[in-house]
Amino acid sequence: MAESGGRFTDPYDIATPEGADGWQSMYPSYLLFGDDLRERDRDKLWFFDQMHNPEPVYPFDLMMPESWLVSLNQYTTRIWNLPTALGIEQRIVNGYLYLSPNVIEDPAQIAEREPIFAERARHYFENWDTIYEDWVGKATDCIARLKAMHFEPLGVREPTETVTSARGITTAFDLLAGYSRLLENMHEMAYYHFEMLNLAYGAYLTFLEFCKTNFPAITDDLVARMVAGIDVILYRPDSELRRLAHRAVELGVGDVLKSPGSPDDVVSAMEASPEGKEWLADLESIKDPWFYYSTGAGYCHANRAWIDDMTPPFAAMRDYVARIERGEDLSRPLEHLQAERERIASGYRDLLDEEHRAGFDALLGLSRQVFPYVENHNFYVEHWHHSIFFNKARELGAVLVAAGMLERDDDIYFLHRYEVYSVLYEAEVRWSIGVPTSGEHTWRREIERRRRIYAALESWRPPPALGVPPEVVTEPITVTLFGINSDTINRWLAADGAGAAEEFHGLAASPGVVEGTARVVHRVEELDQLVDGEILVCPLTAPSWSIVFARIAAAVSDGGGIMSHAAIVSREYELPAVVATGIGTQLVKTGDRLRVDGDNGVVTFLSRAADSAESAG
Amino acid sequence: MSDERNVGGSSRYVRVTASCTADDVETVGGKAVGLGSLLRAGQRVPASFVVTAAAYADYVASGTEDSGLLRDDVRLALAQAYDLLCEQRSDLLTVAVRSSATVEDAHDASFAGQFRTYLGARGVDSVIDQVELCWMTARDPHVDSYRAHREVGPEGSVAVIVQELVHARAAGVMFTQHPRTGDRSLVVIEAAHGLGEAVVGGEITPDLFEVNKITRQVQTRRLGHKVVEHRLTSDGRGVQVHPVEPERQQQWAISDEEIAELLRMAAELEAALGRGLDIEWAIGTTGEPAGTDELFALQVRPITIDHDAGRAGTSHANPIDVVLGRLSGRATGSGG
Repeated sequence: MAESGGRFTDPYDIATPEGADGWQSMYPSYLLFGDDLRERDRDKLWFFDQMHNPEPVYPFDLMMPESWLVSLNQYTTRIWNLPTALGIEQRIVNGYLYLSPNVIEDPAQIAEREPIFAERARHYFENWDTIYEDWVGKATDCIARLKAMHFEPLGVREPTETVTSARGITTAFDLLAGYSRLLENMHEMAYYHFEMLNLAYGAYLTFLEFCKTNFPAITDDLVARMVAGIDVILYRPDSELRRLAHRAVELGVGDVLKSPGSPDDVVSAMEASPEGKEWLADLESIKDPWFYYSTGAGYCHANRAWIDDMTPPFAAMRDYVARIERGEDLSRPLEHLQAERERIASGYRDLLDEEHRAGFDALLGLSRQVFPYVENHNFYVEHWHHSIFFNKARELGAVLVAAGMLERDDDIYFLHRYEVYSVLYEAEVRWSIGVPTSGEHTWRREIERRRRIYAALESWRPPPALGVPPEVVTEPITVTLFGINSDTINRWLAADGAGAAEEFHGLAASPGVVEGTARVVHRVEELDQLVDGEILVCPLTAPSWSIVFARIAAAVSDGGGIMSHAAIVSREYELPAVVATGIGTQLVKTGDRLRVDGDNGVVTFLSRAADSAESAG
Repeated sequence: MSDERNVGGSSRYVRVTASCTADDVETVGGKAVGLGSLLRAGQRVPASFVVTAAAYADYVASGTEDSGLLRDDVRLALAQAYDLLCEQRSDLLTVAVRSSATVEDAHDASFAGQFRTYLGARGVDSVIDQVELCWMTARDPHVDSYRAHREVGPEGSVAVIVQELVHARAAGVMFTQHPRTGDRSLVVIEAAHGLGEAVVGGEITPDLFEVNKITRQVQTRRLGHKVVEHRLTSDGRGVQVHPVEPERQQQWAISDEEIAELLRMAAELEAALGRGLDIEWAIGTTGEPAGTDELFALQVRPITIDHDAGRAGTSHANPIDVVLGRLSGRATGSGG
């Protein structure tokens, strides 16, 4: 992985995994390591964006990173004119997304941008609350327009109304125009996604650095606990499940909710009683929006939302009912958490000299003012909006199946979004003339080829970084949003030959030390294999994974920062957590005995699982 | 703990430790002032009395220094004070005899470890012998050269502390601020098995704990290399160095409950004496070795620190200006 002289593998030296030849054809050329930029690109740092895209990116899902490729970067480069940073580049390597930040070092250029940046950013900071209120309006409106979109198969003939209303244009025209609007809508939301994020993270980072200068030993976790909100929208879906579990017990239908079987079975059984019906009505009333909750980070269509597959929320409620019956208190201790947050903040404040307390208060105050956006945008954008977006694309996939272009509705995700235009147009051609075209067979064969390539890419393990790291990483977006700093880079460099390592390191995300047996989980579907009391080792966790945190002893994730989901939920459940290890899932096997030290960010192997134990587990 | 342990009327030659304040430093020395502050701050401190600098001065002036003969009135004062200590135990006490130089703990010149300490004196004669040895140490060339190097002034006088020994199961030092980074949110504890001499003398690598004052969590925990320990001999008349068995080397010298107690001691002392303290402590028993282990404060002095934290302010009152400055590439934490 790491080579002498502090460089990672040259991105041009990465071999294609067996069976994945031609993977490049699934992605646009501007996202590949091309010969034109070889001399420049091989000497830059490229890090794997495990946090957002832990799996190979499906060609259609590339819309998500490509949206921020322009929106986030426009905010940095063209809108705010951040004095010391340009945008972040993207490359795809064997299907996985790698990122590289760009900094401005020329003092003249920095000086030129500084006053422009100051004026523009100040406008947002000074009007933050009003702008955020408007932001919520813009985001919900964008979601409402997305929800109103529908894609329906073309009929045998154009509806009569086309004639009676003298419309002039047709349903086939609507389909292509509708698809354009779908892409525009996603693009629009991407701008909102980053409208306030750079500045919010900037304020947070400034407070973090202030704390670290004054208290060199302060952990990121403690700074986060001083700033983070207690009752934030992101926890609302899980809170609703807890409430519904209580309601079921109150109504006397706890046993029905607890009964084994699919969510559909449970719903049918509920319908058999008036109390069950009352409970179902309650469930229905909160589904929109709280079940628009992705089982992933919101960047991959394969992570369905609760609204699409209620297995995860029903499994969680089953567990909650059992816990209520055991007499456990499921309510999040909000008052306790609130008091704890104030106690930590005033504890640190009191340690400062009198003359520095005002500065601490001011920066903490600004961080807390901007933080609701940081926490809440995640629900509006990644969960609510993206879940609907992927479903609309699936709806379009069904249209293409009806038109004979695809075999399955989710084949659409193997097509880049601009290829979908071609397929739609060819469907229109066939529909217009009334006879088959050769295109439909070409596309189906191409999708089969891509499916095989994708499977081959899935088994490849992307290294955490490629190329040459800079001497220091200070670029604020890279540091805060992606959690990459000089320490991270050094850890990755030190992880060379990690196969025989006795320990590995990450960010100390939630305090405590425990020992236990590891369970390596790559996907949400594998969570049902988890045995109570095991240590969860995973690429990263999404909010819908919260339901297992009541059962695990500790969490270790490859990706994630101090504000990542695993970190937040572990702190809430008071479990040790080490995040951003980069390589945990590659080093640990299910059955290994580990010690997780959440105080120091260290995971130690106590003993290794016998190979047979792994297959038995 | 209790002032009544430190009984014995004050006289020209002997002082009650609890009465020693900073104003008395020329008479009783810095260590005795430290012990006095520990007692006034309500800490449990082994019983003790102070032999004043005046006793040393009269001893030198009387010219008996070379003959080893002590003036009767000094001898009498020491004997009475020692008897008073022993009365509480109805037995001969084993004591430590330490010099408490009047320049030792002067501001910014900690002489930590430069003055020898005599452990394990028992009986009046033994105690008086050790006091005399302390007085001789005041002229030790090694001490003189250190003093000259730090330019703290001409030769000071010396006082001597006679203090009941703790049968320490574990002991060490504690800083109420990180000694290197100056981080005020941390209490740094070094701990080893047995008496504290192995830690203070640098013979072993103690266990290290960095504890957050606010969350009370141990942020860093590092097992030391504790190959030997100092223990009182079974007759209580001396100290012996023992090898530590391999299994016990792998065990932490103190428990999490004891860390919590040390943290409480640090908070109480900072509240009473101000920020930035260097504290010597021990966990063990006094008197009958079979008693329950208790935490004792043995010494306190201001920390000798590389640089103080809490120095990084921001020059702007408006946080927006600070953030804009940071995003323009200027570091937030300037100064220091």
